[in-house]
Amino acid sequence: MARLTTLPAVCAGIPPLAAVAFCGAVFGAAVFGYTPTFWQGGPLTLAEAAALRDQAEVARLIEAGADPNIEYALRPDVLAVSRATPLEAAVLARRPEIVQLLMREGAAVDEPGWHHLHCIAADIGEDDVIEAIDAYRPSTVAVASCTR
Amino acid sequence: MAGSLGYGLLRVPLQVQDSLPKIVEAGRSPGVWASFTSEIGTTDFRPLWMAETKLLFDLSGGHVHVAYKAFHIALLVAALCLFVTALRIESGVDLAASLFALNVFVGSNTFVGLVKEATPVNVYLPIVGLVLLAMLLSRGRGGVWIDLAAVLTFVAACLTLESGVLVWVALVAGRLAGRRGVSDRALISVTILMVVYVVGRLTLLPLDTQNASGYLAERLEPEQIRERFGAGLSRFTIYTVYASISSVLFSEPRDGTFVILRGWQHGDIPPRMWINIVSSTLTTVLIAITAWRWSREGSANTDGDRAAIRGDFLIFGALLAASAVSSFAYAKDVIMSTAGACYAIVAFWAVRDHLIRARRVGPALVTTIVLLAASSLWAVRVVGVHHVMRTQAFAFHNDWAGMRDYLPDDPAAHRLVSSLRADALSRPVVNPWFVPRWADRVFDIDY
Repeated sequence: MARLTTLPAVCAGIPPLAAVAFCGAVFGAAVFGYTPTFWQGGPLTLAEAAALRDQAEVARLIEAGADPNIEYALRPDVLAVSRATPLEAAVLARRPEIVQLLMREGAAVDEPGWHHLHCIAADIGEDDVIEAIDAYRPSTVAVASCTR
Repeated sequence: MAGSLGYGLLRVPLQVQDSLPKIVEAGRSPGVWASFTSEIGTTDFRPLWMAETKLLFDLSGGHVHVAYKAFHIALLVAALCLFVTALRIESGVDLAASLFALNVFVGSNTFVGLVKEATPVNVYLPIVGLVLLAMLLSRGRGGVWIDLAAVLTFVAACLTLESGVLVWVALVAGRLAGRRGVSDRALISVTILMVVYVVGRLTLLPLDTQNASGYLAERLEPEQIRERFGAGLSRFTIYTVYASISSVLFSEPRDGTFVILRGWQHGDIPPRMWINIVSSTLTTVLIAITAWRWSREGSANTDGDRAAIRGDFLIFGALLAASAVSSFAYAKDVIMSTAGACYAIVAFWAVRDHLIRARRVGPALVTTIVLLAASSLWAVRVVGVHHVMRTQAFAFHNDWAGMRDYLPDDPAAHRLVSSLRADALSRPVVNPWFVPRWADRVFDIDY
């Protein structure tokens, strides 16, 4: 009786061939100097990097000259706001480690600025973020009071 | 496939936690021999690996990232070439089975660790390559050069990692299966070296074998393991050995932890877990059926096939058992990577056997459905390996951000780490925000 190998062989071989083709496409794009789609991200503003826990991008942007104390535009879906400072973005995104990184990299808060951030953090109710902000409380501030 | 994985490796920044201290150490070391001897008397005892790290550092000319990644890619290419060479591809059926096997090798959870970890060069990848080389040597026609290569393969493997003794396992299992490529004299030499190595390793060098490991749905720290199970042979040891075997055959548990059980406890089992388990289980069933058929009636084809299948199944069994026993202290998927490579080789034979035997419509249809399901799921897993690297790149990239506060005091190391940090930060990675949400559910992740 004739062997019925063709159909099962094709079924065994075609999906792996597709995976190999995927690999070939990635490699081919790289060889011709393109970034393969699979490895494509996009440029982030400093505030977006802060909101999206991209510590390396935060450090890189600041070291490349980005100002950590001004407002930046945010893409829709990153946060509920369209513009924010990197510190606001970090607080809104509940990222205490980014708050610390921004402070180490040169972000500064004056009395009203700190108060504003503290109240956002208090509103969110995340203890880690409140602690991170409170660690940078200006010495002139005695007690923070946030009113809704 | 090697090209795309290599490209991924280049995109992943060097690791900070495990890798940076080794690179700094290589920078401080006066030479390759000094790096080699610095490992003598240590708990790790990986002198060749340290010497390689130093040699690559010296050859890099300041392009440290490129040097280590290039070597990692070279090892990967070598392992894939050796793997493909280990398959017998002579017909269309063989080609289909080999494509399937290649996906099993690369898509397997034991393979992910080979491209995910690099400290700064992956230490398990050379072992996979050397064990595959030993398998090929034992299949050869014999001769002085083959014998010499077998001995050198064993020495290189043992000086790289403890798992190097698997080269001996592969050679002995090959011989038991009737392969005479490596002579008795060489096999005895390797055995003597193995005894010397094991005795020396266990008696003269300090051992610190307890690492964090999974246990059922939990992840336990070394102190918790000692506290709960005590020292020495325990319920945990037995669990870890069986868990390691199961991780190759069924893709669960992962590093000792049944992630599917954890998912079930949290009320969410993502598709990637089913993809892993179903693909592995189908493949293991195909392998088991082939082994059962072979033990009862022999191969569907010729005597040459019979000997080859017998040998590869025996080596797979031996490596699976030996790898599992060697990971008695803690379960880690990458420790089973050599067994994973052999699993893919026996998967080749199993798929080939099922294709050759498809002579009636009913069984052929069942075979078709099973193979289509398994191969499709393995293909998803192959893409998933790239996803893991993409995720890993983001994590490693972030680790460099805070390094500015932990720069070494001595000026040379300070300059080195600063330049590595600048290099790592300048490398573009993909923020997970740009990755579709479904990708983390379908493709494998770093457990």
